[in-house]
Amino acid sequence: MTNFTPRPSQQQILRYTGGRLGIAAVPGAGKTQILSALAAKIIREGWLGDDQEVLIVTLVNSAVDNFEARIKKFFDNPLQALYKYRVRTLHGLAHDIVREKPARVGLEERFSIIDEREAGFIRRDAVNAWLASNSLDDYLDPALEDSKRDWVKREQLPDLLDSLALAFIRSAKDRLLTPESLRAKLDTSPAPLPLAELGWSIYADYQRALAYRGAVDFDDLIRLALTLLETDEEYLARLQYRYPFILEDEAQDSSLTQERILSLLSGGSAGRVGRGDSRDRTETSGLHETAGFDALAASARYSTSNLGGNWVRVGDPNQAIFETFTTASPDLLRAFIESNPSIPMPESGRSQPSIIAIANHLIDWVMTSHPVPAARTALSLPHIEPVPADDPQQNPPDNPEAIKFIPTKFTPEQELEAVVKSVKNYLDSFAERPIEEQPTVAILVPRNQRGVEVVNALRQRGIEPIELISSTSETRAAAGSLSHLLSYLADPGSAKKLAKAYEVWRRDWREDSEKMALLSDVERVLRKIGKVEEYVSPHPAANSPLPQEEGVGVREEMERVIEEFNAFRVVVQRWLNAVTLPIDQLILTLAQDVFTEASDLALAHKLALVLRQAADDHPDWRLPELTAELAVIAKNERRFIGFSSNDSGFDPEYYRGRVVVTTMHKAKGLEWDRVYLMSVNNYDFPSNMPGDRFISEKWFIRGGLNLEAEALAQLTALESTSEYDWYEEGTATLRSRLDYVKERLRLFYVGITRAKRELIVTWNTGRQGDATPSLPLSELMGWWENDAE
Amino acid sequence: MPSPSTSLRTSLSLLQRQIVESPLDRKLFLSGPAGCGKTTVAVERMRHLLAQGVPGEEILLLTPQRSLQEPYLDLLYSPERSAGGEVTPATFGGLARRMCDLFWSLAAEAAGFAHPDQPPVFLTLETAQYYMAHLVRPLLDAGYFESVTIDRNRLYSQIIDNLNKAAVIGFPHTEIGARLDAAYFGDPAQRRVYADAQDCANRFRQYCLDHNLLDFSLQFEIFTNILWEHNIVRDYLMRTYRHLIYDNVEEDVPRAHDILREWLPSFDSALLIYDESAGFRYFLGADVHTGWALRELCDEHVRLQESFVMSESVAGLSDSLAKAILPNFESDVNSQGVSDSLEIVSRHFYPELLDAVVDEIEQLVSAPGIPPSEIVILAPYLSDALRFSITNRLDARKIPWRSHRPSRSLRDEPASHALITLAALAHPHWGIHPPKFDVAYALMQSIDGLDLVRAQLLTEIVYRQRDLRLSAFDEIKQEVQDRITFSVGNRYSILRDWLLAYRESDPLSLDHFFRKLFGEVLSQPGFGYHRNFDSVRVAASLVESVKKFRQSLEATFNETLTADPLPNLGREYIQMLQDGVIASSYVEAWQSEEKDAVLVAPAHTFLMMNRPVTVQFWLDVGSSGWYERLSQPLTHPYVLARGWKTGTQWTDADDVQYGKEALARLVSGLLHRCRERVYVCLSELGESGFEQRGELLRAFQKVLSMSGFKET
Repeated sequence: MTNFTPRPSQQQILRYTGGRLGIAAVPGAGKTQILSALAAKIIREGWLGDDQEVLIVTLVNSAVDNFEARIKKFFDNPLQALYKYRVRTLHGLAHDIVREKPARVGLEERFSIIDEREAGFIRRDAVNAWLASNSLDDYLDPALEDSKRDWVKREQLPDLLDSLALAFIRSAKDRLLTPESLRAKLDTSPAPLPLAELGWSIYADYQRALAYRGAVDFDDLIRLALTLLETDEEYLARLQYRYPFILEDEAQDSSLTQERILSLLSGGSAGRVGRGDSRDRTETSGLHETAGFDALAASARYSTSNLGGNWVRVGDPNQAIFETFTTASPDLLRAFIESNPSIPMPESGRSQPSIIAIANHLIDWVMTSHPVPAARTALSLPHIEPVPADDPQQNPPDNPEAIKFIPTKFTPEQELEAVVKSVKNYLDSFAERPIEEQPTVAILVPRNQRGVEVVNALRQRGIEPIELISSTSETRAAAGSLSHLLSYLADPGSAKKLAKAYEVWRRDWREDSEKMALLSDVERVLRKIGKVEEYVSPHPAANSPLPQEEGVGVREEMERVIEEFNAFRVVVQRWLNAVTLPIDQLILTLAQDVFTEASDLALAHKLALVLRQAADDHPDWRLPELTAELAVIAKNERRFIGFSSNDSGFDPEYYRGRVVVTTMHKAKGLEWDRVYLMSVNNYDFPSNMPGDRFISEKWFIRGGLNLEAEALAQLTALESTSEYDWYEEGTATLRSRLDYVKERLRLFYVGITRAKRELIVTWNTGRQGDATPSLPLSELMGWWENDAE
Repeated sequence: MPSPSTSLRTSLSLLQRQIVESPLDRKLFLSGPAGCGKTTVAVERMRHLLAQGVPGEEILLLTPQRSLQEPYLDLLYSPERSAGGEVTPATFGGLARRMCDLFWSLAAEAAGFAHPDQPPVFLTLETAQYYMAHLVRPLLDAGYFESVTIDRNRLYSQIIDNLNKAAVIGFPHTEIGARLDAAYFGDPAQRRVYADAQDCANRFRQYCLDHNLLDFSLQFEIFTNILWEHNIVRDYLMRTYRHLIYDNVEEDVPRAHDILREWLPSFDSALLIYDESAGFRYFLGADVHTGWALRELCDEHVRLQESFVMSESVAGLSDSLAKAILPNFESDVNSQGVSDSLEIVSRHFYPELLDAVVDEIEQLVSAPGIPPSEIVILAPYLSDALRFSITNRLDARKIPWRSHRPSRSLRDEPASHALITLAALAHPHWGIHPPKFDVAYALMQSIDGLDLVRAQLLTEIVYRQRDLRLSAFDEIKQEVQDRITFSVGNRYSILRDWLLAYRESDPLSLDHFFRKLFGEVLSQPGFGYHRNFDSVRVAASLVESVKKFRQSLEATFNETLTADPLPNLGREYIQMLQDGVIASSYVEAWQSEEKDAVLVAPAHTFLMMNRPVTVQFWLDVGSSGWYERLSQPLTHPYVLARGWKTGTQWTDADDVQYGKEALARLVSGLLHRCRERVYVCLSELGESGFEQRGELLRAFQKVLSMSGFKET
């Protein structure tokens, strides 16, 4: 059983009995915990009928497991909750929905889902095809010299168009526009919309390529799920019955389409209430709650029952930050909270009071004093509050000294040096302490590229940083092991790769120092074999291939090495013979030989299916290409959906005494004792002040247009029926500046609230030497020095 | 030990005996659930007919699918059978084809063939796919089927499937699109695909008529609509066959039942067998209702009820599950005993589950064990990876297994891959340039004693992809020659000389090329196919497939039929194979001939083998594949069925209801073929790492909670 002690706001939430409820939570407020507790309550109190489940929707796979684990803790016997709840990401939910009736939306039985990386390849092809037969000259700065113009076309346009296409396609799908329906709109558009034409052309090409593979992308899943729900009332009613309660986490990251899916499922659409009529439900559930029902929950129950939805949305609109283009918007959750009963969840035990004060001041300043009035909605209340005195998770003690805004005007290099030096000193000062007393530390940067520079600088100082990645190291290790084996099989004459394959085969030995010695002896000998074939399949007449190796001269040791040699040879021979098998079967064969852990074997099985799909999609691929594919998975450049249980997310606690380097975006949901925020200047955090530059406005585009924003504006104009919504060039560029400014304010807020005890913020003058501290940083610096109590 | 047949004969019940020995002018309709001894009776009836002096050639044995003939063939091919006329075992489709062949002159003109004077060309599934691809590909580029996301080859096969459905159900193929469209509601953008599918079907049919091609649907239609109406044909059939044994009537198609209605009166005797709990081939157009109606034409309807297979506990489980799936299912069964027949194997990860399953099987077969042939491992689908994983584990424990699912298409089979690479090397004018990897693998497969390391070394030096150059072994450096070894070098030289000589000669057709290569080089001592029977089998399948392909193409592209030049057959075939258009050409089904072996198969395959076992393992119990029909955007088994009221919409409620009925039927079908025990196998994360909780799992849960089963 769990020892969960609900905080005051959480107690209020646990009195929920039905209807819609919006919860604005602060960083570290325990969103997962409260939703798990609520789900457990619904199950325990028997509000569910036969075949009904509490649906919990969350953002990422790692959160799925987190929920599963926490809900189970609420029950003595896990079987009590078996199949009474379902935790899904939105994509997982959409997959469930579509999977039941693929044919109705034009999909065949085993349609495949391509991940972002594969989608990126296809999109890139479509972009290149467009560039080969079209020109974007109308949008290039006419003042560009010819040579520069050629360079731009070659080096800059493909990337620019690629991100434009990504945004355009994603946005079109979010509006449920197919290439066909979009074409129809373009054909009747009164004004020429060249960027929408461009977007359409790439979209159509991209979609054809997907259809050819019998595949859909993640955005299609969402789109098709919504189409199904909107066109099949009976099916919708069945799902509404199945999910009488919907609990949504990270609701600030939902797009309009995603919100519509949950709204429909929760019975939110008038006239579509099926067997799962919520009025019956709330009344029944009311029987379980006769006492202690506070006024707020009561109003939630009665005022919304006619809307017909038991839908609890938890999120923090202040943490809506996005690394790539998205159709999500925190305003959606804000609007939901405003128009429905709501309970704020302001207590957080994460940070020490001074850090809380800074974060709260940032909210206040943005809301009241940001010089750009339109940006004042970037952040909103509630403030963060420390937890009450009896809470098991107490805030760290107050320590104003642990907050440092470094005013120094560093160049980018100097900033690196200063931060690296500080990190080194800090970690060194704990070097003698036991591991559990060492702190967790992170350096957070605004962009990936800056992260690479930080990593290199740390390495030069002899510090090996942890690069934050989204899957666990075990996943990568397993995929990496297979990748080494395949890489040998692709080049079986290579002694080096053979030696590596041997290491993989004996990967369990690494823990054992005695065996480790034998392993490195054997490895060294293998590495020096000149003619691998004489080892792998010796000719009967040939001499022993074993070189007389110095260093393993002792007879006994030599015998052990030879024994090991012979054992490995048998294995290698088996592998070499398996090489002509289809890739899935080859992977399984290899996995049987090198893995013992159930999770590794399961992962290998999954990898086998994934690579088989890749091989079917690319009939010209052979082992080198498939190995490369596997290597990418191993390095985790691509998200590996499906294997949720192995993908348990990143846990900073695991890396005490080390330094984690990542972007502020990727740090969402995580916390460290000490946090460095770097590059907080007006280039990475512009405020729409004179002199601010915007990454999306390219110097080689005429008028500094933000083409992506302009293309989306043309799409909007196409969709609109109002005659006043015509497209006007340049407006969208300006509007998107504002969106960016707001997103950056939230990003800064997220960065600050990652810190538990210590916060260090630096800035630099940028590549051109003219950048200044970002406006919110200047504000906090001034406030902290002069006004803060 | 007495032979199985004698022991069976003595164990027949009185009722069964009466049926077997009924007079030679009686027509009986025998029905009952699976496992009540219907087929046993029919086999004995056949033995009885023969023993009574009925000439074999007067007996027609009809089944909807060839695999269902196995028990009869055991009798017909048994040594105790003295020579005599042969019984005709047939499927209705097979019969149709024979009649088309025999009476082509009667049919050709009436059916509208453009060249009735020329012989017909019968298409296999793969050659039909080829022509369909040929016709549809340009239309795809013109924007057909834009709103569906589907693998092209499956698109072709669904159009073919529609034509077949029209033929076996008995409606004009021109109505396919309208029927599908009428049942559809929802996203209007989807609707267009039915018109596209109709157009493609029309074009295909016209192309067949223009070129004397007969795919399955045309064979079937010509027989049932044209030939059967001819007195000559009827007389021929009625005179030839005097006695009918028709098993699994419920799995056959309405047009077959229609013809039988007219034909049945002319037989002297008939035994029709109907499985009341079956109807598994509905997705192929089978219709239980039209089958059931045939009983009206028989002299007597006999029902067998008692199961000779299921233990009481299994019967209880079967009823309990049916009740859990279909709440209004009527049964007076006591669910208390079901736990005797039910074991649960549950693990977190999938491979762990497979280990546990194989552990369990090992225990079962070890003394005083259950014979392996009495154990089956079933799953709704059997991915290659799954099949490979299971059979590998069984191999490791030395437990014999057989798997009816063809593991690999010719495209994936290493032995055929190697042959195809060699073919490309021998025909530079095809313009196919295999990568070095393929050449190294081909050499490794072809040359005895050549390992992969040496094969790559050799290929690296002698082969140039750009112009397909193969240099001679003696041209390479002495030192490298030593590494590769001379015996291998010699063999390489023989192969190379052969290929180069072939390049100089007049090219043969691809199948002849393979035969020649095989006979003159690869099957010789020192070469890869000399001792490897498995490869030989694969090679034979390949040759067979190529031959059929060539014959159909040659027949089509003769001058009378078309002005188009004959495409390069070899290259065309290889491209088709690589595109997967003819991936359907699988290597001969049975992977292992071992009879006393654990069967690993998809559940449906097992059902269609009509053979009870003692223990069943059900993998992936959480999968929705147990009850969801295949999602096919261009066709629909229920909407195209005869009983469907045209114009009615197919709704979600239909989906749910039909899905439940199909699941109940499947579960009952499986359990009626189970003597003692079912192992319900479940992993929290399925094969792909997803959690699974389908209807079957829920049904088990209900049964378990009803029976008070405690998980241990």
